[in-house]
Amino acid sequence: MSLLQVQEVTMRFGGLIAVNDLSLEIGRGQILGLIGPNGAGKSTAFNCVAGLYKPTEGRILFDGEDVTGQKPWDLCKKGLARTFQIVKPFQSMTVLDNVTVGAFAVTDHRDEARDRAMEVLRLLGMGGKGRALPGSLTIADRKRLEIARALATDPKLLLLDEVMAGLRPTEVDEMIDIIRALRERGMTIFVIEHIMRAIMALSDEIVVIHFGQKICRGKPEQVARDENVIKAYLGENYGTA
Amino acid sequence: MTQQEFKRNCLIAVTLAAFALPLVVRSATYLHILIILYLYAYMTTTWNLVGGFAGVLPLGHSVFVGIGAYTSTILWLQYGISPWIGMLVGAVLAAGVGYLIGKPTLKMRGAYFALSTMAFVEGIRVMVENIDMLGPLKLNGPRGLNIPPLQMGEGSFWAFQFSSKEPYYYIILTMLVAVLAMTSAISRSKMGYYLKSGGEDPDAAQALGVNVARYKVAAMVISSFLTALAGTFLAQLTLFIYPKSVLTLDLSFELAFIALIGGRGSIAGPIIGALLLRPVTEFSRIYFSATLPGLHLIILGVVLIVVMLYQPRGLTEPLLRIFDKVAARFAPALPDTPDTPDTPDTPDSPDSPNSPDSPNLPDTPDAPAGPDTQGTPAAPGATASASPREERP
Repeated sequence: MSLLQVQEVTMRFGGLIAVNDLSLEIGRGQILGLIGPNGAGKSTAFNCVAGLYKPTEGRILFDGEDVTGQKPWDLCKKGLARTFQIVKPFQSMTVLDNVTVGAFAVTDHRDEARDRAMEVLRLLGMGGKGRALPGSLTIADRKRLEIARALATDPKLLLLDEVMAGLRPTEVDEMIDIIRALRERGMTIFVIEHIMRAIMALSDEIVVIHFGQKICRGKPEQVARDENVIKAYLGENYGTA
Repeated sequence: MTQQEFKRNCLIAVTLAAFALPLVVRSATYLHILIILYLYAYMTTTWNLVGGFAGVLPLGHSVFVGIGAYTSTILWLQYGISPWIGMLVGAVLAAGVGYLIGKPTLKMRGAYFALSTMAFVEGIRVMVENIDMLGPLKLNGPRGLNIPPLQMGEGSFWAFQFSSKEPYYYIILTMLVAVLAMTSAISRSKMGYYLKSGGEDPDAAQALGVNVARYKVAAMVISSFLTALAGTFLAQLTLFIYPKSVLTLDLSFELAFIALIGGRGSIAGPIIGALLLRPVTEFSRIYFSATLPGLHLIILGVVLIVVMLYQPRGLTEPLLRIFDKVAARFAPALPDTPDTPDTPDTPDSPDSPNSPDSPNLPDTPDAPAGPDTQGTPAAPGATASASPREERP
C-alpha cells in the first residue's frame, strides 16, 4: 500500500483554483518528483499535504489514515516532515539547537534530543558546524540545515520543497547524493524541484502539473518526451517552429 | 577548574553574597531599595517567560500583580486567611485569567497581541476603580485597600508582616533565586526550545511538530501564576494597594522596558536590566516626582531607543561576552565545555561532500556573512559566545 495518497484534491483561494483535482500516490521507499512551470500549484499542493492548508475538496491519506486538514504539528508527529522553499532557520539559535527542536518530536529529554540532532548533522556532513549561527552559513548549508531539522523529527515521508534552488552545480550534486543516501536508509521522499537534471536523476516517478492540473505522470524518460509537458514548458508553438 | 566550573562558582558566590548582604547593609532605606530591585527583577523574569521565550510582547502583566495583591488582601481583611494562602489562591486565579487572556490573544502576531493585553489591564483597572463591592468582596474602588499593621514592633510570619526589612529581603531573594532556577530549567527543556522556535518562526516550528499556540498559552499560565505571587508580596510590603499602584500600564511598561534593555529571552537579562534601571526610576521619583512625574518612563524610553539601536538584543549579550573573556583569563585550561558533543566528531567530520566550501562567497546572495570559517573543526572555540544559552551556568 502506498504511504501517501492524494485523492482528487482541489484547493481554491477565492476564485483562483491553485490545485485542481490532483491525485497521486507515493509508494514506500519511493522518490516522487513534482514539477511544473512557475505558478503551477506545486507548493500549494505541498502545503495541502503538509497541513498548512486544508484542501477545499478531496482527501489525503497518510499511512492508510485520513489526515485531511490535520495540523502540521500533528502530521509531524505521525511521520511527515517538510522543508520550506524559502529556508526558515531560527536565527538566534545555533545550528545544533535548530536541529534539536526537530529532535524533540521524538524524545522529551534534552540530552537525547541533542545527541540525535548531532547524529543527523553528521549524517549531512555538518558535524563541525553545530555551534555556528544560521546567519553565518552558506546557502547550501542553510538548505542542508532545513533538511537536518526535518530529518531529526524521524519522518517516514520527507517533503523537499526546492532544496536545490540557488545552489551551484557541485552543490547540486552533493544534494543529490544526500537525497539518495536518505532513500538508501528507507526514507520515502516527495520532491519539488526546478533543476531538471537533479529531478531526472533522482526520481523514480515524476508528476507534472500545469495550472493546478496533472498533465503527465511517469518515469523520468517518459515525462521528458511527453508532448503535453514540452508544450507546458516551452509553449504551444515549440513543435511547429 | 574549567570555565564551566568557574562560571558556576561565580554564580554561587554572587548568590551567597546577596544572602549575606543584610549583614552589611543595616539601613532600612537601602534594604528597601534592594527589595524593590529584586521584586522588579522577579516580575521581569516571570514576564520574560512570555515576553522573552515565547517571543511576544505582553504589555499587561500588571493585571496579574493586581490579582495577586487584591486576592490575598481581601482574603486577609475579610476572612482572616493568611496572606501566604491568599498568595497561592491569587496565583491560581491569575493563572486562570492568564489562560483566558492568552487563549484568544496569543494567536495574534506582533503588535496586536501587545495592544490587546494593554486593553485588558486598562479595562480591569477601570472596573476595579468603579466597583466598591463585588458581591461580598470589598474592593473599595479607587481608594484601595489598607492592611492595618499589627501592633507596633510586632512581626508575624502568619500575617506576612514583619517589623524589620530583613525578612522581606530574604523572602523576595528566595523567590527570585527560585524563579531564576525555574526559568533556567525551562529554557533548557523541550518547552524552552519549543517556545523559542515558535516565537521566532511559527510556520517552521509547526512543521517540526511544535504546537506553537499551546506552548505559548502554557507559558502565559505559568507566567501569570508566578507574577501574581509578586503582587501579594508587594501588598504585604507596602500594606496599601489601590488600582493605580498595582493595575497600571506604568508597571506593565516598566517590566517590558527592563526586559528589553536587559536582554529579552535571556536568564540574566531581567537581573541586569533591573540593576541598571531601577535606580533611575527610584532617583527620578525621589527628586522629580513633584515637578516631573513620569520622568522615569521618559528616561527609560530614551535608554531603550539607544540600546535598541546599538545592542538590539539587550545589554546582557555584550556583558556576557566580557564575562566570557574574564572567565577565559582565569580558567583557560579547556577550550570547551564538556557537554557539547560536537568537538569529538573528527572521525566522520571530514564533512564528506563539504570540502569545496571556501570558494563559496561570490555567488551566494543569501550569505553576506562571508566565508564560513566558523564551523570548521579547527576552530571549536571560535563561536563560544554564539550561543548564550549554552554558556550560562
